[in-house]
Amino acid sequence: MKQVKGKVLAMMALVLFSAAFTLGSNAIASDVIKLGFIADVSGIGAPFYKSQKAGLDMFIEEINAKGGILGKKLELVVRDSQLKPDVGANQARELILSEKCEFLIGPTSSAVALAVTKVSKEFKKIIFFHTSNAEALTTTAFQPYMFQVVPNTGIEGRGMAVVLSKKPYKKYSLIGPDYAYGHDQLNSFKSEMAKRRPDVQILDTVWVKLGESNFSTFIPTLMAKKPEAINAAFWGGQLSAFIKQAKPYGVFKETPVSSLFDLDMLRATGLDMPEGLTGYARAPFYAIDTPQMKEFIKKYYDKNKEWPADWAIMAYDGMIALTEAIKKANSTESEKVVDVLGGLKFNSLRGERFIRAEDHMANVGIYAGVTTKSPDYKEFLIMKDVQPVPAEEVWLPVEEIKKLQSEQK
Amino acid sequence: MTWQLFVFMMINGLSQGMLLFIIASGLSLVFGVLRVINFAHGSIYMIGAFLAYSLSTILSGQSLIGFLILLMVVPPVIAILGLALEVTLFRRVYREEHLLQLLLTYALVLILDDLVRVIWGGEPRSVARPELLAGSVDIFGMALPSYNVFILVVGPMIAIGLWLLLYRTRTGNIIRAAVSFPDTLGALGVNVSWVMTSTFMLGCWLAGFGGVLTAGLSNIDLGIGMQTIIECFAVVVIGGLGSVGGALLGSLIIGTGLTFFQLPFGRWALVFPYALMALVLIIRPWGFFGKPER
Repeated sequence: MKQVKGKVLAMMALVLFSAAFTLGSNAIASDVIKLGFIADVSGIGAPFYKSQKAGLDMFIEEINAKGGILGKKLELVVRDSQLKPDVGANQARELILSEKCEFLIGPTSSAVALAVTKVSKEFKKIIFFHTSNAEALTTTAFQPYMFQVVPNTGIEGRGMAVVLSKKPYKKYSLIGPDYAYGHDQLNSFKSEMAKRRPDVQILDTVWVKLGESNFSTFIPTLMAKKPEAINAAFWGGQLSAFIKQAKPYGVFKETPVSSLFDLDMLRATGLDMPEGLTGYARAPFYAIDTPQMKEFIKKYYDKNKEWPADWAIMAYDGMIALTEAIKKANSTESEKVVDVLGGLKFNSLRGERFIRAEDHMANVGIYAGVTTKSPDYKEFLIMKDVQPVPAEEVWLPVEEIKKLQSEQK
Repeated sequence: MTWQLFVFMMINGLSQGMLLFIIASGLSLVFGVLRVINFAHGSIYMIGAFLAYSLSTILSGQSLIGFLILLMVVPPVIAILGLALEVTLFRRVYREEHLLQLLLTYALVLILDDLVRVIWGGEPRSVARPELLAGSVDIFGMALPSYNVFILVVGPMIAIGLWLLLYRTRTGNIIRAAVSFPDTLGALGVNVSWVMTSTFMLGCWLAGFGGVLTAGLSNIDLGIGMQTIIECFAVVVIGGLGSVGGALLGSLIIGTGLTFFQLPFGRWALVFPYALMALVLIIRPWGFFGKPER
């Protein structure tokens, strides 16, 4: 009998203790703004995640050192969505409901982003996308609680068509990952190219499963129709694997390949990266000449002992825009912050930018250039002759945005 | 399609098939003797690939010797891992129903995959090809990576080695007898339990060998185990569970099929192994070389 009593007492103590503990943590919660980061930590997006996290961490440290925002400190909570949309959506719910996050930060994969944006809409919590960039997020899947500080697939696909339409090639083969990102990207490329260069022929489009890294069966197919140039919509680890494996198949001897040459991919490919390929980046630190970027690069290098990749820069820019909106709204309530998002101006590392009211897309363009070895960076290639393609030149006009948004289910 | 392109695609597809064979033969062999469908075979293969990566960072330089050392060291280490798994876990479920075996091996998948995540992290890795195998071989003016040629040479060597072992040695006789008449074998005084353990180790050795080859061929990440075990299942269902010859046939059909169907069917080519698997299951459920369950 005594024993049972002892057990009951112990149980009660435990319950009381845990209740006190939760109360305690709730009390603390009001002094911080929690940011829930649905991240693609593992798999082909892993290097991107490291850079994104480093950019976010740096911003949060800096702003907390200055006393936070509206007197509250920022705190980051990270979950790994493993490039899986259902996992990402569940984690977004968990971050809102259990972790009490007030704002969300998007993942790397567009497929995950399309699932997560629905959760953001459902719970009316603001999310920003800094890496995942399906154009659909701003059109058919648009919802006002999101904004995008990364050039979307439309801006990128059409932007590359603008750049490559000036080249002499007439026969292209396309290859890309078989999901929202790859399809959006290559479709935008095709339609813009058809407008600018009706003489250009698209011989073939090869689709590869997202995450597949053995290209042995795909590369011979890609080359079988003898294209003059290849546009590849891969990114990150998958692109790096593609380039490394394409080399011994003799692809680069005759056929230039264009794609997203971001810093992390260039670092991962190292000196296996061929010279003279035309490609683009989203935010190349070595080619953006603004005072705030110079300061950022220095601080970032001192802290991380490496150069900031595009992903670090865009995640940082997203935080600039978000905190700017919170300040302008003078509130952390998403209902009030969302009211100031449309037309919001913010001073990004890439220069002055604004968020377009109709689709919450920041006017961020791409930076096109040609790969080259550089004496400043011994272990990887960068791009030379970098020319920005401004968003205003290639983003969808407002009428089209409105038309697509009205088709939303 | 010109005949030159046809030959090129054929060689390329065969090299893919050979790699698949090396892994799938291990799965098939283990099933034949132990009657356990080892779901964790893919995870064991993945550990082999990551181990090869770790070892390659120690053996710096892209020498052929270094790569051969990987091929000699990693598979035995994986075989020893197999020994530990067999003695502690698998041995206990041989006489249980398939559902229980499935639960055990699937649980192992989860544990081993998370182990890889803890040890190596989520980043994709790869082993640099040795300089001698990094270039390409000219075939009718088309470039085929020498590494694929290397796989095409090593694969048949493994196949012949397995055949010699199974059909020309006493050990092989015993293993084959264990497939067909396990009870009689025990009555003849053979240590059946030891036969099973060593077969399991051989299966793991093959998985490890395939892992090293894959690490040089493409990037490796946490997904390759699951992806490969599914392909291996297609192979052994087509070829017949338990038959090494069947695994060879199944692998080569899938390897060349994927290469050839890519051109006319594009993304639908991915369906091919599973469509073929379904067809085989309908027409000849025990596979080309398998035997109907008694």
